Amino acid sequence: MLEFLDEVVTGQLVVSVAVILVILHVNLVGVAYLILLERKLSAWIQDRIGPNRCGPVGLFQPIADGVKLLVKEDYKPKGADLALFSLAPMAIIIPALIGWVVIPWGGEWAMPEFTLPVLGTFGGQRVVVAGADVGIGVIFLLAVASLGVYGVTLGGWASNNKYSLFGGLRATAGMISYEIPMGASILAVLLLSGAVRPQTLIEQQVAGGWYVVAQPLAALLFFVCILAEANRAPFDNAEAEQELVGGYHTEYSSMRFGMFLLAEYAHLITSSAFLALLFLGGYHLPFVGWTSPAAVGLGPALVKVVVFFTKVFFIVSFMMLVRWTIPRVRWDQVMKLAWNALIPLGIALVVLTAALVYLEWTAWWQTLLMNAAVAAAVLAIQPLMPGPAEKNRRVPLAGSRFCPIAPEPVSAESEAPTTGGRPASRGLAGVS
Amino acid sequence: MAIRDEDIVPVSAPPLNALENVYLPEIARGFGVTLRHLATSWNKGKTTRAMEYPEERREMRPVEKGGQFKDNFRGVHRLNRDAAGRVKCVACMMCPTICPANCIHIDAADSPWDDREKYPRKFEIDELRCIYCGMCEEACPVDAIELTPEYDITGLSRQEMVFDKEKLLAVYDATIEKKPM
Repeated sequence: MLEFLDEVVTGQLVVSVAVILVILHVNLVGVAYLILLERKLSAWIQDRIGPNRCGPVGLFQPIADGVKLLVKEDYKPKGADLALFSLAPMAIIIPALIGWVVIPWGGEWAMPEFTLPVLGTFGGQRVVVAGADVGIGVIFLLAVASLGVYGVTLGGWASNNKYSLFGGLRATAGMISYEIPMGASILAVLLLSGAVRPQTLIEQQVAGGWYVVAQPLAALLFFVCILAEANRAPFDNAEAEQELVGGYHTEYSSMRFGMFLLAEYAHLITSSAFLALLFLGGYHLPFVGWTSPAAVGLGPALVKVVVFFTKVFFIVSFMMLVRWTIPRVRWDQVMKLAWNALIPLGIALVVLTAALVYLEWTAWWQTLLMNAAVAAAVLAIQPLMPGPAEKNRRVPLAGSRFCPIAPEPVSAESEAPTTGGRPASRGLAGVS
Repeated sequence: MAIRDEDIVPVSAPPLNALENVYLPEIARGFGVTLRHLATSWNKGKTTRAMEYPEERREMRPVEKGGQFKDNFRGVHRLNRDAAGRVKCVACMMCPTICPANCIHIDAADSPWDDREKYPRKFEIDELRCIYCGMCEEACPVDAIELTPEYDITGLSRQEMVFDKEKLLAVYDATIEKKPM
């Protein structure tokens, strides 16, 4: 009766559904506790104590925060585009969540055969402990990670607030700028691996050394770019409190604001998992047999999940350390960093990696030497580059006394008095 | 008036060297500072500056460790009593005159006692308007108004926070042990 299901309901589907359910819930709770971790870490870094009133050492603080966000007034600003205003929190959290689906948390598992009533027999083949074994997983992640900026931009636009709009504009410009070096650093890795399937990427790192060793500059580039993509400090100009009073989420309150907050941390997990997958060997640990792709039992699969999560945890903690160490970069400096430094560096890496691949010099030490050469070249070329403009220069604005152009002669009809050879402005004329 | 050229002092930041210009070594040094603070202050370590207020109060610490210096701490006001237990104030109106926040209101009347001309029939301080600058204490010629080390006053309404003469005298009775006149 249900034979047609045999095609659809395979062992992979059962594992996928289970993994999606578990990962979604673990990560959503994890996101809440990452917020607590960030508050604690920032407190310790700033010689404070941090939240410690809710439960032992503040462990129930995320629950209290969640309850508070849920019961607060859901404010909608006057003149806001209500449809887009409601859509924006969803548009930002969904891309952050669906990125988790292609991460191969547990590697491959030789699923034993078992029978369920009605649905039939499953297993007996190898499955990937991931939400979906997507052949183009890296491309999918790259596409989905950038979609999050739509939520920021929509939120900024729909709020009917100029500061929010500025935040959205900044996020868009930042996404466009940092997507290029991010793509270049990923390309430098993909040229070496020749595959875009996440599972294959990890297998090749196990065989030939982690890509963070083979391509440290690409890893650095990628790390900087995911900070910018996730709107994290020091590139959190889209929500710069001091300039934009919160930026794109200025007008949001209640759980809509909570969605933005959750999405930021969900984005952190996604991009950290992406970094671990591309450069840090995914679930692999050197010298631990159970974490190699050859181990396909259930125990190794669970160990791999734990190892993967630990790596993600450390990367996210490092991102928090970055946030509380480096002050926010000015907006023009963000753009300058992308276009003057990261994009040329990324292009150089891609071109040189392509040359090495053509010459078949793709051992880890050969690409590492190439990276060292690029770094040395950066240090050598950098003093020769034109520096920033003189900070005390006089900007010859038209009308100022530094302007090389002579001021326009005042027509006799206006009868405006002149002071010191330049036309007095209309406002001053009345005073003097 | 335009700024004259001879008044301009150009100040330039020192130029960055090659390593500083690529940021990363300096950022690594910054991580060192951050991690040092993280390591020494987590779990209420030795560099923690915070005080867990309701359980721990400034009065409990020595002054050199951030404790309260009772002699000139500027907290809630009190009206001092003289040896006979009467209010010391002579309603000279110095404190409402000097008060920058206009929070002192005195209703003066002829004194029932022989040693002074006037006394305050009503004496009200709006503790919510007060900025605790201590000018009233400085201005008082008879040391009648003083600021006490008490700082955690609460109330359920604004009216409740307007302290009248009886309340201010009660503050005197409550704090005379802690801060002698």
